[in-house]
Amino acid sequence: MNDNDTPDNTEDTTVKSKGLNRRKLLKGAAGVGVAAVSSGAITGFPMIWAQNIKNVTLRQFGTGVSNLNAIADKCKEDLGFNLQLTSLDSDSVTQRAVTQPNSYDIADIEYWICKKVFPSGAMQPLDVRRLRNYDKISSLFINGKLTEDADIAQGTAPHTVGFVPDRNATTFADQPTDWMTLIPTIYNADTLGIRPDLVGRPITSWADIMDPAFRGQTSIINIPSIGIMDAAMICEAMGEITYADKGNMTRGEIDQTIEILKAAKRDGQFRAFWKTFDESVNLMASGEVMIQSMWSPAVAAVRSQGVPCVYQPLQEGYRAWGGGLGLASHLSGLELDAAYEYIDWYLSGWVGAYLNRQGYYSAAPETSRAYMSEDEWGYWMQGREAQGDILSPSGDVMERAGAVRDGGSFEERMGSVACWNSVMDENQYMVRKWNEFIVS
Amino acid sequence: MARMSMAHNLHSYWQALPLTLVLLAFLVFPIAVIGIVSFWDYNSYSLIPDFMLDNYQYLLSSPVTLQAYLNTFKYAALTWFFTLSIGFTVAYFLAFHLRSTRTQTLCFVICTVPFFTSNIIRMISWIPLLGRNGLVNSTLQASGLTEQPLSFLLYSDFAVVLAYVHLYTLFMVVPIFNSMMRIDRNLVEAAVDAGASGFQIIRDIIVPLSRSGIIVGSIFVFTLVMGDFVTVKIMGGGIKANVGMMIYNEISLLQYPAAAASAIVLLATVMIMLVILFRLVDIRKEL
Amino acid sequence: MNKRPGSFYPLAAFFALFVLFLYGPTITIALLSFQGPGGGLTFPMRGASFHWFGQLFEAQAVGNFGTSLRRSLLLGLAVMICTVVFSLLAGLAFRKRFKGQSVIFYLTLTSLIIPSILISLGIGLMFDRLNLESTWYSSGFGSHLTWTLPFGLLIMFAVFNRFNPSYEMASVDLGASHWQTFRYILLPLLAPSLMGIGLFGFTLSYDEFARTLMTSGSFNTLPLELFAMTTNVTSPVLYALGTLTTAISLSVIALTLLALRVFRRKSVRESEA
Repeated sequence: MNDNDTPDNTEDTTVKSKGLNRRKLLKGAAGVGVAAVSSGAITGFPMIWAQNIKNVTLRQFGTGVSNLNAIADKCKEDLGFNLQLTSLDSDSVTQRAVTQPNSYDIADIEYWICKKVFPSGAMQPLDVRRLRNYDKISSLFINGKLTEDADIAQGTAPHTVGFVPDRNATTFADQPTDWMTLIPTIYNADTLGIRPDLVGRPITSWADIMDPAFRGQTSIINIPSIGIMDAAMICEAMGEITYADKGNMTRGEIDQTIEILKAAKRDGQFRAFWKTFDESVNLMASGEVMIQSMWSPAVAAVRSQGVPCVYQPLQEGYRAWGGGLGLASHLSGLELDAAYEYIDWYLSGWVGAYLNRQGYYSAAPETSRAYMSEDEWGYWMQGREAQGDILSPSGDVMERAGAVRDGGSFEERMGSVACWNSVMDENQYMVRKWNEFIVS
Repeated sequence: MARMSMAHNLHSYWQALPLTLVLLAFLVFPIAVIGIVSFWDYNSYSLIPDFMLDNYQYLLSSPVTLQAYLNTFKYAALTWFFTLSIGFTVAYFLAFHLRSTRTQTLCFVICTVPFFTSNIIRMISWIPLLGRNGLVNSTLQASGLTEQPLSFLLYSDFAVVLAYVHLYTLFMVVPIFNSMMRIDRNLVEAAVDAGASGFQIIRDIIVPLSRSGIIVGSIFVFTLVMGDFVTVKIMGGGIKANVGMMIYNEISLLQYPAAAASAIVLLATVMIMLVILFRLVDIRKEL
Repeated sequence: MNKRPGSFYPLAAFFALFVLFLYGPTITIALLSFQGPGGGLTFPMRGASFHWFGQLFEAQAVGNFGTSLRRSLLLGLAVMICTVVFSLLAGLAFRKRFKGQSVIFYLTLTSLIIPSILISLGIGLMFDRLNLESTWYSSGFGSHLTWTLPFGLLIMFAVFNRFNPSYEMASVDLGASHWQTFRYILLPLLAPSLMGIGLFGFTLSYDEFARTLMTSGSFNTLPLELFAMTTNVTSPVLYALGTLTTAISLSVIALTLLALRVFRRKSVRESEA
């Protein structure tokens, strides 16, 4: 077993400049030990190769939303191997996923990004038979329905790009198969954030963002695939456009939508466009805007600065997004096994609870329940009044006793999703038009 | 002397080699790649080798391009005007009113200190300064000068130009100061003795003689503004756009061939302007 | 000493205003980095504390200053060394006429004034097309050199324009070899300027953002990491970092200046002796 000692000498979690050499060595080691390794993984007792796996370092990249150092630390503690995180904004994530497939092992991406990335062949699907927690995954990601009789929302719903027919396919399957593109991890229902102290009236509709009373104090997100969906919710709520399918607009619908946005921009309706989490927090906390599209932890961040902010449920419903973990196509051998082990662990509850506590939802809700207190579960998932203070994962007080989550329970929120973030057939055209709107 | 320069001549080739290699590998070659890719086709995840003019056709026919260029030129012109006015005044003060080299050096050091904070961090700190509830607005409101917060201070053309002036004025000050230091002080004395007013001295002696410094500074400011996107992104709040932002947007949306075409057009524009400016000055002599 | 002209005072006031303008953001950063534990990136201040400086040294929820800082320092050092050596060599080459001289000169100028995003895009695409993995120490390193070398070369020009060649000639006349002339005459005379180039090269590389954007590969340099962090971190810990780095760079400059002064005194004394 000399081979297995080799990586030990070069193992170094922080000196990245050695990355290339170390990886080559690793592959050599894995090649020799591969028979033992795969037999171990299949029986579900990975301990056979536990010694070996300590030397593995997996490079994960993705948006900062879930690229949390706490997860890497816990992974090291529970599984023994290293997780190296790089966080980027969602545009750069897409870019890197496609153009530099060798620069990562695990991609933490959203489903609409997956729709762009997966066909390029940069990633490989996951064999769900190797995941012990596969059947714990919410049916939302399997058949698109939260409950048996639920409607399927418009847009790039995760289940539509969640499966491929076989190991080498790059086109998506219509129904669940054994090969999953991304293992879902995190998702949420988004809506408008408001400053209740500034808006001065109840906000009930997406159309309220276009109210002339708020001129110069509104903002929307400038990531085309997300922004266009917000825009569609707004235009539909205004009664200007009725879409056949918001998630897959025709050129005519795109033109109309962009015209309405351009006109609003000309009239000075928007104060700014934001692209990243912090921008939305700062816009809101500093009082630059009073109503804008927003993400739920951003609302929490504003509130934690002592500024009132509400994640306002609206009558037209939510725009949802979901993300998951996928494997780079170059992964094989020991590293691939480690990646499976990691992803299975991700679904096993600890991470889910961590994400739930930040206001997101875990893809395997039931497993995370075991890691949350009854009060936490009641507040975050069941829409019940908090009995004691609700703490953030880092231990800061997020909400005082008596608080109720905006939008209520998991079922109420995820049950009223109107559409998902999307990549349309006319994506190219839409992006061009969106760019025109931004530059106009 | 002739014998020596012959020997040196041969040395010159290997001495210039490292620089040349770096420039070839990381400047000439990449630009060639951009040039080639600008004729390629693409879809949402990959580049398709091809030869087509669509990228240029779309670029040159789109009203957005025109708008972006107009914006960029507007920023460049405004920034040039302000950096030149401020830069000239500051350089004049440093060159003619400070007597010792030590005070001059000290003043320069004072001016450069703010540049040692990361640019990214410095940019976001304009927001608490200029925002609706920022320092400037609260001061104005507290002093009773304005009732409502002024919203044009941030996320506006004003904010963008302000940030440019902040970043680039020193690029104007240094070359102008450099030229001014070479002006023969006797000329100024003679003019004073001949009864010229302070204004006449500046107009007829100092401005013409620091012309080359002004041009070099203008080249710096102009090219920096033309190629920028970070400032516009942060100070414009995403609402304002220039050519750099257009390219950045295209890159971030994976439309590399479109971005490459925009980049080539931008490069051509900048180069044309520079050829004109370089005709007016021999930069090697001015250093 | 003759009397200051009347224009001195308004001009001095103008200069003071200009300095105040330059320092605006720096002061804001310094103030906000002492924000109380509950405060955000914007005014109002919510109390005052050293809380965020403490946070700086603890693990962040997202991102990592430490490793990216080390990368940036290493890269800065490598870029600094190459810039000094390559600029010195090129500077020497340009003292004589040689074929292709003006082409190289204009390429260098192009490298300086070409919009940074073009370099980034070009090198990124080139590595991609050549199937090379872009990393901060290959493509990132190259892209930084395209930014620092022009400055280095221009400084060398400025130095040689003011350089008195009679020392060298004297040395050659006295029978010294080229190497000896270089080692004992030229190098000591150029040393302060070379230090300047080094400092310049390091600082430019250390703070470079646009040219690194598409060339750094999987791991971020400090400015990129900061940029990524500004997208997720909404606490004044960023300002604390800003204040701290400014303080550190200030002390580095002060030390360099001090060293130069000692160096100069020493050489003056030596030449007197």
